[in-house]
Amino acid sequence: MKARARIRLIVIYVSAAIVLLGTVGPFLWLVSSSFQYERQLLNRPPQWLPNPIVLDSYREIFEGAVLGEASGVPYQSRIFLRSFANSFFVAGSVAAIAVLVGAYAAYPLARLNFRGRNLLLFGILASRLIPALSLAIPIVLVAKQIGMSDKIISLVFINLSFILPYVIWLLQSYFKSIPMELEDAGRIDGCSRLQVVHKIILPLSLPGLTSAGILAFLLTWGEFLFALLLSETPASYTSTVVVSLFATDVDVSFVSIITAGVVSVIPPIAFALIFQRFIISGLLSGSLKG
Amino acid sequence: MQSRLNTTRKEMSQGMMALLFSAPAVLIIAATILVPFGIAVFLSLHNWNLKRPGRERFIGLENYSDWLTDSDFWEPLRTTFTFAILAVILIVVVSLLISLLLNEKFPGRGVLRALLLVPWAIPSVVNALLWKWLLNPQYGLINAIFYDIGIITEYQNVLGSMPSVMIWLVIAYSWIHIPLATLLLLSGLQTIPGDIYESAIVDGAGVRQRFLFITLPMLRPMLSIVIIFEMIFALKVFDIIFVLTAGGPADATNVLGWTIYTETFRKLDFGAGSSIAMLLGAITLALAILFYVFLDKGVEQ
Repeated sequence: MKARARIRLIVIYVSAAIVLLGTVGPFLWLVSSSFQYERQLLNRPPQWLPNPIVLDSYREIFEGAVLGEASGVPYQSRIFLRSFANSFFVAGSVAAIAVLVGAYAAYPLARLNFRGRNLLLFGILASRLIPALSLAIPIVLVAKQIGMSDKIISLVFINLSFILPYVIWLLQSYFKSIPMELEDAGRIDGCSRLQVVHKIILPLSLPGLTSAGILAFLLTWGEFLFALLLSETPASYTSTVVVSLFATDVDVSFVSIITAGVVSVIPPIAFALIFQRFIISGLLSGSLKG
Repeated sequence: MQSRLNTTRKEMSQGMMALLFSAPAVLIIAATILVPFGIAVFLSLHNWNLKRPGRERFIGLENYSDWLTDSDFWEPLRTTFTFAILAVILIVVVSLLISLLLNEKFPGRGVLRALLLVPWAIPSVVNALLWKWLLNPQYGLINAIFYDIGIITEYQNVLGSMPSVMIWLVIAYSWIHIPLATLLLLSGLQTIPGDIYESAIVDGAGVRQRFLFITLPMLRPMLSIVIIFEMIFALKVFDIIFVLTAGGPADATNVLGWTIYTETFRKLDFGAGSSIAMLLGAITLALAILFYVFLDKGVEQ
């Protein structure tokens, strides 16, 4: 029996090691590459760990942002930091507004009794079935027509509508899990519906609101299609767009491309690891990334 | 569960309140999803090419019939399904294996589960950049590893030829999609009561029998969800194509998402682009309906 337990543990840890390697290995190689000299990256065989640790490509991004053309770094490096800030603005705004607007929309779906409730919920969810690609064409056309193309505010608006159904679904299932007695107690004490929402439901839903907000931030951060189609100048590029400009340009050095990739995933990976509990519970309440 | 509490205070009806509360969200969704959808239908029924302004006119279903009789539709459709089916198989098999591992109790399990979020959090564009570097024909790590262990005798440009480009595209795409599928399957595994296994062991069932006759049937509802959702996602793949292959080499990875993009935003034929996007939407919708049927069956069992 003891030998059996030992074999089980060996099998488990060997498999776990393989999974671990497959999960973080590729990304760690990207990080390791970003700290090397360009000429070291061209070594055969490749150099596994940076020696010495080279920060030149990271410095390029900052110098490029501050000095502009005078820095002599590639165009993409010069505009990268600005796109990074744009991504923060867009993802942060979407997360905040989606949770605020989504919470009010989710409450009646979870707690009120009215005609058409199922239809409303179904309509909100079904809106996500239409592929973004087919909506992109009219959205780009209209945005150009009304002068809203190349503005990050348009990106906030578009991302918001794609994130909202998801946030509403998550929050209404969270609200349903709050015991009805708490709400009834508030009502007996003379609270109006709005007060019940503000004083009882929302404070008790902080974990749910947090996971909805973080998921909204992460999904928006990675959005590419609309960020690409609705931007024309660096003023509205998000980091995913600049990463694609890097990755499809054969004239930029590998290390600059790789460093842009690493820097652009620092916020989502940091968020994901810090808030992993919230994210896993949010993901598992019947929702998916896409 | 509705409260039976009767209120004597003057208060608006629940329907009215629902309307007010959900109005902002509904308006935002309608403005950016329903309205564009209407316009997309409109465009798809018109001859509408930005390169030839002034010639816009209603042509009924001509765009659709053009596509349906054109190999420029059927070839990408086949490529799309090839890609999607391979990706779904890889994602489901690997995530099922990982979720079975994570369903075992062992020290370090929580850490491993948390680290799954690393690939999940990587945006698809950065993922494409990462694999472009890993697969680089001259300096890529994967070439170096395969060379070292003797699988290849010289470095390969795997993104430059078929079928290797499709295989690696599927692997690269799946890498960031496996974590979520794993977490979903894991949550499915954790709903299976432990005493079923215990009584099966008492009855003399081995590991394989337990997997085939308990785990798989009990996991079926969640497995259907994962399969169909991943299928729907894979059918509209675009980001990774844009960075990694641009539809190439020689249209080998020209999926419908890429055709829609080039038709519309490079050839500026908005009518043709919209109609093929509608076709992709219809295929996705048909699969989504399939999903509901599957799901209902799964729940009944």
